[in-house]
Parts: sequence; structure tokens; C-alpha cells
Amino acid sequence: MLASLALLAALTALPLFIPPFWTANILGRAIAYGIVAMSLTFLATYGGFVSLAQTMMGGVAGYVAAVLVPDSLPSLVGGVPYAAAVPIALLAATASGLLIGAIAVRTQGIYLLMITLALAMGFHLFAQANIAWFNGYEGIRNVVGPEVLGRPFRDPFVFYYAALASAALLYALVLYVVRTPFGLVLQGLRDNARRVNALGYHAALHRIAAFGLAGFIAGCGGLLVTFYNIGITPGSIGLGPTVNVLVMSVIGGLGHPIGAFIGALIFTLFDTFAADLYDRDRFNTLVGLVFLLIVLASPDGVLGVAKRATAAED
Amino acid sequence: MAGGPPPIETEPAALRLEGVGRRFGALAAVAGVSLAVARGERRAVLGPNGAGKTTLFNLVCGDFRPTSGRVVLFGEDVTRLKPHGRARRGVGRTYQNSLLFNGLSVADNLVVAVRGAKPGRFSFRLPSAADRAAARRLAETVRLSHLLGAEVASLSHGQRRQLEVGMALACDPRLLMLDEPAAGLSPVERPELMKLLRALPRALTLLLIEHDMDVALPIADMVTVMKDGAVVVEGRPDRIERDPVVQRIYLGHGRAH
Repeated sequence: MLASLALLAALTALPLFIPPFWTANILGRAIAYGIVAMSLTFLATYGGFVSLAQTMMGGVAGYVAAVLVPDSLPSLVGGVPYAAAVPIALLAATASGLLIGAIAVRTQGIYLLMITLALAMGFHLFAQANIAWFNGYEGIRNVVGPEVLGRPFRDPFVFYYAALASAALLYALVLYVVRTPFGLVLQGLRDNARRVNALGYHAALHRIAAFGLAGFIAGCGGLLVTFYNIGITPGSIGLGPTVNVLVMSVIGGLGHPIGAFIGALIFTLFDTFAADLYDRDRFNTLVGLVFLLIVLASPDGVLGVAKRATAAED
Repeated sequence: MAGGPPPIETEPAALRLEGVGRRFGALAAVAGVSLAVARGERRAVLGPNGAGKTTLFNLVCGDFRPTSGRVVLFGEDVTRLKPHGRARRGVGRTYQNSLLFNGLSVADNLVVAVRGAKPGRFSFRLPSAADRAAARRLAETVRLSHLLGAEVASLSHGQRRQLEVGMALACDPRLLMLDEPAAGLSPVERPELMKLLRALPRALTLLLIEHDMDVALPIADMVTVMKDGAVVVEGRPDRIERDPVVQRIYLGHGRAH
């Protein structure tokens, strides 16, 4: 708790000392993707559900907002102020989570992974093919985000602090929820679903609700990413970005929600500096090697390394 | 209270099985079992390995649907009800191979168990002080008070068995089903468990699977002996002990393990 608050204070002060590029394009972006990844680590750590639907649920929020808000190009519905569009988008992402949870309610392990991947690819291809609602291949541009205190969202500080505040609140929400009966039952499902039923709980209901909450979290991240990119395209919710969320989560470690942000930061650093380090086109090779290295050295990610280091000290 | 046919007209039996059977492919794990357990009765189910005792439990608690017959709990036909529905009607059970929540503490295991039987079990509010107190009381009952904060994965086999019983008791069951609670317990732990079982409220209906007659017979009011999925003999413990059929079944298995 104390460590979390200290970290939050440090992250709040940090933009005063670093260039705006680092504030928005490295840290801000890492936090936004970290939120999407935390949606996965929440499901995986506490429920034992490894899903590939996180990018899709974030994309649902992004697309809904893009369709609704004023000034987006092309204007499909338009005219809905951000104050209304953002909650609607988050509601849609939550609903998509509930729907995915309901569809996948009986699957586990590799089958859950495949079914969520299939749904994610289905949504990606649909967005790419549909002109009327998604503007097909080109996607929707000029989704600039709301103004905060009279400053545009693309201002590095506005984006950074919006991302940081969202992440802190969602992080606290996750840590709170897992201590409630709902969260305890979720962990019960991970450890022993049969016992959960025998104790009188409707296991499927809890599972679906967990996916709904994951949808909400991913939706928050998806909106931030959409505003950061000033728009959304089918490419941004394709196979690559879908798998990247899993890669980030595994790099960071699935043992604790904070792992999502560690993984996202490492990923973003490589994404940004791969060109300087080696060659722009070799980004995937580089990330792949780093991924391999981390997973081979520590199957439970960077978190696992940290855990063993503190254990060795004691 | 114990023994004899239950008074059917005035008060329905705690548990009534009517020709209940369960097939797994060609194997009839349980074949047409009929029995009635009166309220407050303590019934032991004996039989060699593979007799269908645990399958019978799974049919009663709803983990399996019977392929034939009816399951009636407290006068209500629950044949088509799912496990959580039956749990809400007062069925608590333990599992032979301890199905616990390994990643949670002993206290949280019990809190989950306590909340499961109550309305408002689907909750985003922190467990109440009353829930925590109930968990502490249960831990006391099964002598795990000193381990409330311990992660379940770190418990010994005997402690896991104790927690199993605690979790089954948490819903304040009307029908408590214990699947080999004494299995694998040390000679010190065994009498402790028997003491715990004897101290259970008399109003509670108890269904007990036991391999070991020395554990089952002193506790039971009535005994049902199963073999090959069917009921072989049913009667009072003293009669069962002398029954030639039972002795033949248990010969070679030894009386105690």
C-alpha cells in the first residue's frame, strides 16, 4: 500500500523532470497499454482465465467513442459530447466483456485462448469490412479526446495525467475487488470450480461478471489508446496488437496486476527504440528475443525475478 | 430418532433416493439405489473400493445427474437441480481428495464457504465483521484457529481434512455429507475427528462414507453397505458388524486400514 502510494507520487512528479516526449510517448503510452494488459492479468491472476480478447474489448470502446464524438472523420453519428460518449463507450466495452464471458463460459486453458482469439479476429475482420459503421480499412480519424481544463487531450501532460489517474484508480479497484466475496470466489474458481458450486455459488455468473469487469478495464485502456492515436483503425486491433497484450502481461508477470505495467513499459521502450538499437524492421525479432530471454530466465516474468531477489535477501 | 423407517406422512425424509442410477458408458457405477435417510439420522455408507459410494455422493450433491431415478431432499425433488441449487437447500459436503482453494488463506476459504449459503453471496462489498467472526468460529470448531492467516497450500494433510469439514459446516447444513473424513489421518488426528463428529448437533442429518468400520460404526445410527453400485445390506451398526455378507465383502480388505 505504502509502496504503491510512493510509486504514484513519484510518477506524478516525474513529468517535471523529463522531456515531454518521454512523458507522453513512453510513459503515458506504456500506462495506457498497461491498463489493457492489466485487464488480462486481472483475469489470469485471480480467475485463471488467459484470454486474447483484451484488445478487442478496448477496440469496442475506441470504436464506439469514435463513432459518437463530434469532429471525427468520417462523421458517422457524431455530435455526442465526450462527457456522454466516454461512459457509453465504457458501457459498450463492459457489455462486450459480459458477452465474451458468456460465450466462453465453459472453456478453459488453450480452448479459452482459441475462442477469445477467434472472437477478436472476427471483430477485427468485421471492422475492416464494414463501411457503414467502422469506415472499413481506413478506420476513423480525428478522435481528439475531450478537453481537460481547457487544454487539449493530446497535450503530453493532459494525456499522461489522465492515463496515470485512470491506471491508479483501476489498479486500486482490482486490489479492492479481489478482497470482496466476488473476488474471493473468483480465486476459488481458479483453484477449484467444483467446490465453488458445492458451496452454493453460481460459478458461471461470477465468471461472466469477471469478464465484464475485464471489459470495463480494457475499455478504459482502449479509449486512452484511441485518443493517443487520435483515431482507430482495424489494424490497431488486429492479430499483432492482440498478441502484444499477452506478451506484455507475460513479460511483466501474471502474479500481480502491477506486472501488466512493468511489461507494458518494457514493451514500449523496445517499440520506441528498436529503430535506434538495431533496425526498424527488426522490431519484432528484437521483442521476440527479449520475450524469449525473460520467459526462459523467469517463467513468471519480471515480477518473478523481483520476488526471488527479495526472497534471497531475507 | 435413529433407525427404523422414517415417518413418511408427517415429515419427509432428509434424503430419499428412488431407484437412482448412474452409468458411465457400459459401467453402471450406481445401479438403482433406493434409500431413505430420516432427519437427524447419522447414516454410514460402507463398501469396498469401487462400490459406488462417492458416485452416490455426487448424485446427491448434484455434481452428477442420475441417468435414472429421483433424488428427493427434504420432500423436494431436486433431480434436475444444479449443485449450487442443492447447496442453497442445505447440503454441505466434503471431498475425499480435499478440494480447497489453495491460493487463499484458511480464513478466506472459510469466508467464501460462509457467504455461499447466504443471500447476497454475489457481492462487491468487503466481507462483514459477522462473516469474519463466523469464519473464526468455524476455525475453532475444526481446531484451525492458529492457522487462520496461513495459505491453504501450506497445510498438512490432516489440517486440510479439518478445513474440509469446516467448509462443509459453514453453510449451516441440514444434510452434511462427509466423504472418508478419516482417510490418511494419523492415529492422533483420528480420535480428534471422531470427537468432532460426535459433537455435531443432533438435528443435523449426517451421511458418512467410510472405508474403515472402526470409524463409521461408533458414529452411525444406521449403516448402508454397497457393492458394485448396489445396496447389499442395510441395518443398525451392531447387526451390520455381525452380518455374514458384510464380513465376506470385507474379508481380505481387513477391518481397519
